[in-house]
Amino acid sequence: MSTVESRPLIGEGISRVDGPRKVTGAAPYPMDFSVPGQAYGTLVQSTIAAGRIVRMHTDEAAHSPGVVTVLTHENALEVGTGPASVLGASPPAPLRNDRIVHHGQHIAFVVAETPEQATAAARLVRADYEAAEPLLDLQDPRAEHLHDPWGMDHSRGDAAAALESAEVTLHSTYLTADNTNNPLGLFATLAVWDGDTLTVHDTSQWPSMVRASLAMAFGIPESSVRVLVPYVGGGFGAGLRAWPHVILTAMAARMTKRPVKLVLTRPQMFTSIGHRPSGVQWLSVGIRRDGELVALDHRSLSSLSMEDNDFEPFSSGTAFAYQCPNVITRDEQAKLNIAVPTSMRAPAEAQGNFALESALDELSYTLGIDPVELRLRNHTDVDPRNGLPWSGKAILECYEIGARRFGWSDRNPEPRSMRDGNWLVGYGMASAMFPYFAQPCMAEATVNRDGSAFVRSAATDIGTGTYTVMAQLSAEELGLPLEKVRFDLGDSDMPDSMMAGGSGLTGALGNAVHDACRRLVRSFVDLVRDDADSPLMGISPHDVECSDGRIHLMGCPDRGESYVDILARHGTPQLSATGSSTPPDAKEIGLSLAGAYGAKFVEVRVDPDLGLVRVARVVSAIDGGRILNEKTARSQIIGGTVGGIGMALLEDTVTDPRTGRIANGTFADYLVAVNADVPELDVVFVGEPDRGTPTGTKGVGEVGLVGIAPAITNAVYHATGKRIRSLPITLDTLL
Amino acid sequence: MRTFDYVRATDTQEAVRLLADDPAASCLAGGTTQLDLMKDGILEPPRLIDITRLPLHGIERRGESLHVGALATMEELAAEPIVAERLPVVRESLLLGASVQLRNMATIGGNLLQRTRCRYFRDPGVAECNKRSPGSGCAAVMGAARMHAVLGVSERCIALHASDLAVALVSLDALVHIQGPTQRRTVPLTEFYITAAESPEHENVLDHAELITEVEIPLPPPTARSGYLKVRDRVSYEFALTSAAVLLVIDGGTIRQARVGLGGVGSKPWRAYEAEHVLTGAPVTTATFLDAAEATMRDAWTVPGTEFKVPLARRTLVRELQTVAGVTS
Repeated sequence: MSTVESRPLIGEGISRVDGPRKVTGAAPYPMDFSVPGQAYGTLVQSTIAAGRIVRMHTDEAAHSPGVVTVLTHENALEVGTGPASVLGASPPAPLRNDRIVHHGQHIAFVVAETPEQATAAARLVRADYEAAEPLLDLQDPRAEHLHDPWGMDHSRGDAAAALESAEVTLHSTYLTADNTNNPLGLFATLAVWDGDTLTVHDTSQWPSMVRASLAMAFGIPESSVRVLVPYVGGGFGAGLRAWPHVILTAMAARMTKRPVKLVLTRPQMFTSIGHRPSGVQWLSVGIRRDGELVALDHRSLSSLSMEDNDFEPFSSGTAFAYQCPNVITRDEQAKLNIAVPTSMRAPAEAQGNFALESALDELSYTLGIDPVELRLRNHTDVDPRNGLPWSGKAILECYEIGARRFGWSDRNPEPRSMRDGNWLVGYGMASAMFPYFAQPCMAEATVNRDGSAFVRSAATDIGTGTYTVMAQLSAEELGLPLEKVRFDLGDSDMPDSMMAGGSGLTGALGNAVHDACRRLVRSFVDLVRDDADSPLMGISPHDVECSDGRIHLMGCPDRGESYVDILARHGTPQLSATGSSTPPDAKEIGLSLAGAYGAKFVEVRVDPDLGLVRVARVVSAIDGGRILNEKTARSQIIGGTVGGIGMALLEDTVTDPRTGRIANGTFADYLVAVNADVPELDVVFVGEPDRGTPTGTKGVGEVGLVGIAPAITNAVYHATGKRIRSLPITLDTLL
Repeated sequence: MRTFDYVRATDTQEAVRLLADDPAASCLAGGTTQLDLMKDGILEPPRLIDITRLPLHGIERRGESLHVGALATMEELAAEPIVAERLPVVRESLLLGASVQLRNMATIGGNLLQRTRCRYFRDPGVAECNKRSPGSGCAAVMGAARMHAVLGVSERCIALHASDLAVALVSLDALVHIQGPTQRRTVPLTEFYITAAESPEHENVLDHAELITEVEIPLPPPTARSGYLKVRDRVSYEFALTSAAVLLVIDGGTIRQARVGLGGVGSKPWRAYEAEHVLTGAPVTTATFLDAAEATMRDAWTVPGTEFKVPLARRTLVRELQTVAGVTS
């Protein structure tokens, strides 16, 4: 494994390479693609949550102006089910039968010559139902439960006995609401068949998985499917599955022998592409009076749809967040008649961390120990699950620097002791982490005879900056100026990439790019191994480095030559190499792979008469390992923080308790934080390059959100003396 | 969207005649509500009469009244110096009522006629809506009710009138000038609206072939102070959970005149006469304000999810009375 210590921890904060295209409108998002002769699809969705369709009435719609076809379960093509992934089984295929399992389930697909005609005709499709009573309440005893669905339940020591004998105990219940990912870009699919070859433009965070799903759905080889997604208007996890509407669009295109385009409406974005599931968590903590944790018993129940999976082990982080000898974590999911939950930024950890960090805050008051100090007393440098040292964990630095920047020492620990006019002022903090995650990843690097390079992988840039940081990394590895490197992504024909999810892409793809570039340099060195005209003749590929478009002996820039000269002399137009990365094995490297860490400090203002909560300041100190681009990484933390403010104060996908219909499925009714809700956000990166991977990076896509909600509720307690254990804190909560 | 005819009226008489000729036609002004409702399939007028070219844009002071053309935009009214000087409550309600993009499009007449934001009304997939289909029932009463009204409602409909401006205007005794096919008439804004309890499907006294031409706002005494407080979860871009429009004339520690409107609570913009009775002649103290607030909301009809609006509306009123009077708690 190569060392990265010679490189700066914080990479240059350059602006996005795709920025000008985005701000000028030149960047094509999935909904921007059109092809000649295309027809337009519209979804018709169920208006009951459980039961079956007795009869579909489609005649009126079928004879409506411009209508090409109306698909229902009675005439739909039978399609296969896609592959299982790390996120579980593939979502169920659309229009399979008459069974209804949630309100908003697709029951018909209308194809017409214009979007307006399709929309008008879709309103004419009616269904007769035989309705059953839906299961909608998470704690409904009739709901079927999945126990430990991800095999991540953890147990060490004897938590029950330790709780029994603990000097101080806390037993609390925490509730978190359904939240909806709500990327600004409406999800879109354009499917074009040419014989048995399928090309699809799709809003996806994982094109190769969509390719595999479409291939299995239609029984064609993966080599006959191409999925294109050069730009994504946000995803937050919603683009990690091959959703039924994607299969439906391709099915309609196959059946009508026309290209078909579908753009979801905003209300359909609430029912078709997942959401963060609601949950209830029961947490028991045993602790000594000196603040040392002796027992943690963390259990969760979260909502799940009837026919799909969702990776949501709420309590799993509690197994290794702190030093504690006796721990038990147990996660369950309840099957309900709700639209499919899915990963939403910081899945599981956002919710589990809220419970754990709220409980620690509560105990800090009980014990009279400063909240930061309480966490310091329970810090661990090793992974308590396996005893291995973490590959990188600078959380102590996060506490120290975060507290200093925030002015934590100015805090009067007494609740309700700080005031500014009508506003009560409170300070709160929380620890944050997001666990390590990676999947196998590949990339290809090419240097051309003019000394320019392109590097490519079937990854996506969901607004995170993948284009930019991978171009930077490639330029660094190849010793080229940034403007000579083009990084391409968003095409499933490119070398396979992992998903843009789990905060894993930058690390895994970065390591694959690193490997590809190293191999490419090696092929140049191989080319001149016996070349008497080359100053590099006979030099080992391990002894070279690259700068200014040249390969040269390490530490000796004069002994070397340029890519251009080598290729010209050998009459070779270009050289390419493919690289790959696989997640390291902890036992093999003797390190437990660490994700990102952080400490969050928040000041809130609470108007106790009107119940208003406003976030006044946030300081996020983050250990993200080596930061490739400070500007894009900071944007990730800022964006995550805004999502955390939304989760804490505003976001709540409300399901009608009687019908299962989502009652606030628009941007007027579902509240996300707007600029006026977001104060100045201070972000500081600390730590060292991670020791577990070649590039030393950790993903920072999710750690920005984690810990914000408990830091806010903890600050609300400090301001008001009122402990909030249910999110979001709408103003009626505080009246 | 269904296809529809589009015609542009050139004068008010023609617009009224076009309306009279087609009982299903609708008017198009700023379009900020009308077009949304058409896209969502809630309104499907076969004919849209564009009234934006009618000569109803002016804002003019005549003596102690401000005459606001129905087609003046929210932004134009908010920018009038006389509004800032004499009608802060109107200005604040406009600025808090919509983003600048919407204020540049939305008209004053259209604002008064805006339809409810009720998500059950605005989703054609919901069958039970007495406002859309009289007699079909009310899904909101049994549903997620947090954003709905508690005054002037019944089990037949709890839809909220979400205008901020109208709350300020009812408190100021604004007048609505109306042009019909054969006659003009003037209706006080306090008598313009019909509550959902009276009739879910009829929201005001305007006949189909009548147009609002002008809103007349009597200017309060120069010594009056006024303001508008809007309470909501999100700092911006949200309809009021509760709001209060307050105008006070104070003389030597005594309230000589009081006007109070409440928003976020009524199926129509709510005038709180009962609070005004308590305030008038009373000393300028928080105790007075608490008494005034206590007098309001007594007829509230709540469902699970709207109970909090009763205490919140009272607290909102107390806070705005304190702010306008310059009294700290």
